[in-house]
Amino acid sequence: MTPGPVGADGADLAEGLTKVLSETWGTEVEVANLAASSAGARRRNVAFDATPSGLPAAELVVTVVPRGALGLNSVTAEAQMRRTARDHGVPVPEVVVASEDESTLGGPFFISERVAGETVPRRVLRLVHETGIGELLAGQLGTALARLHRIDPADAPDGMLDPGARPPSEAALEDLETSMRELGVLDRPALALGMRWLERRLPGTPDRLSVVHTDVRNGNLIVGADGLRAVLDWEGARRHGDPMEDLAWPALRMWRFREDRFEVGGFAAREPLVDAYLAAGGDFDEERMEWWKVLGTLRWAVGLYAQASAHLSGTFPSIIMAASGRRVAEMEWDLLMLIRP
Amino acid sequence: MNLYPNAAELLRAVAALLDDEVMPAVPAELAHKVRVASNVARIVGRECELAEPAANAERLALAGLLGHDGPLAELRSELSARLRHGDPALEHEAWRVAVEVTRQELAVVKPGHDRWEGK
Repeated sequence: MTPGPVGADGADLAEGLTKVLSETWGTEVEVANLAASSAGARRRNVAFDATPSGLPAAELVVTVVPRGALGLNSVTAEAQMRRTARDHGVPVPEVVVASEDESTLGGPFFISERVAGETVPRRVLRLVHETGIGELLAGQLGTALARLHRIDPADAPDGMLDPGARPPSEAALEDLETSMRELGVLDRPALALGMRWLERRLPGTPDRLSVVHTDVRNGNLIVGADGLRAVLDWEGARRHGDPMEDLAWPALRMWRFREDRFEVGGFAAREPLVDAYLAAGGDFDEERMEWWKVLGTLRWAVGLYAQASAHLSGTFPSIIMAASGRRVAEMEWDLLMLIRP
Repeated sequence: MNLYPNAAELLRAVAALLDDEVMPAVPAELAHKVRVASNVARIVGRECELAEPAANAERLALAGLLGHDGPLAELRSELSARLRHGDPALEHEAWRVAVEVTRQELAVVKPGHDRWEGK
């Protein structure tokens, strides 16, 4: 993680963390070395050290989530999902405490152990290619996904997102159709071609529905010289999903960061991922994976369009949101290459 | 209008200012926005130079597909609607045209992105 300034409210944050951890551990705690880490636009991640009196310092990180986020897991559901995944052998940083209380840190939060390694995609790729661990990493990712997908959905925490009884593919396509209609994205032939392609090849419900992470990809992984150390960002995890969605997502071009030859995250070809997935008990379905690659690319194109639209409507004015609209063409290109007749 | 320097030239100057002088002077939390703004200036600069010929080529290609001419925005909507509702006779050629149109857009927004034609 790249350290950075914590911001003007750093002192308040330290005070809040001290309070939370003193209550959690039932002892006096000293909090120090706060450093904002590079993170997504939405969530705020701050690394810090916490020393319970008479004990060695713990290296931790706090994630504070803005209130009122729609369509995502609550922090308590996310924290419980992280624990469940961890119990099933998926590498996930251990959660120390999670809370919906917004008064102490300015939003719901969870505190977890800080795992050393790279998360920024280009730095991950530099490490991977300098040390030659691309295939190892893809294999570890395949194993982690197979373990995640073997969890009984009934064991997922209460309150987890769940698309319900609809087959995941149908639900995803319907949701996409709805967003396109609401946004008025009706004048883009490439996207129309993509939608038709998806409709014609709509897969039914897989034999077994699985707990899915939905955002496993280069950028949400902690990687060290020994490969995969942790899978992050469980806010979009769902109780019932198509496991192939999780294999397709990290294989999209947008997560390769110019290393296009390496389908999985810019670090390896597909084979080590799939081989390890099968070896750890996963069921692989190539056609289904291709379908989810097209769905994911189209959904991302619409998501970028939605960001520009949020800027223009004044809902979220930001140069970054505005510029996202100009990235739609990249997704359309990737989409057209995926559906080449 | 006979404006000098032209829009593309000025936008290049804006991008250079943002990169060379503003970037080093802004606090870390603003760096990403400034980088994005500089990229936007470069994108719009390229658009000034490339948009007009590209729009003409796009209109001709879409008119060829649909069998009639019209304003570009209407041609795009009509083609999208026909494809969306399933017109297999049109799809193969529409894919080819969409690839060419997207190449032109990428020349503005992300030069080089179309060098990779794999999945």
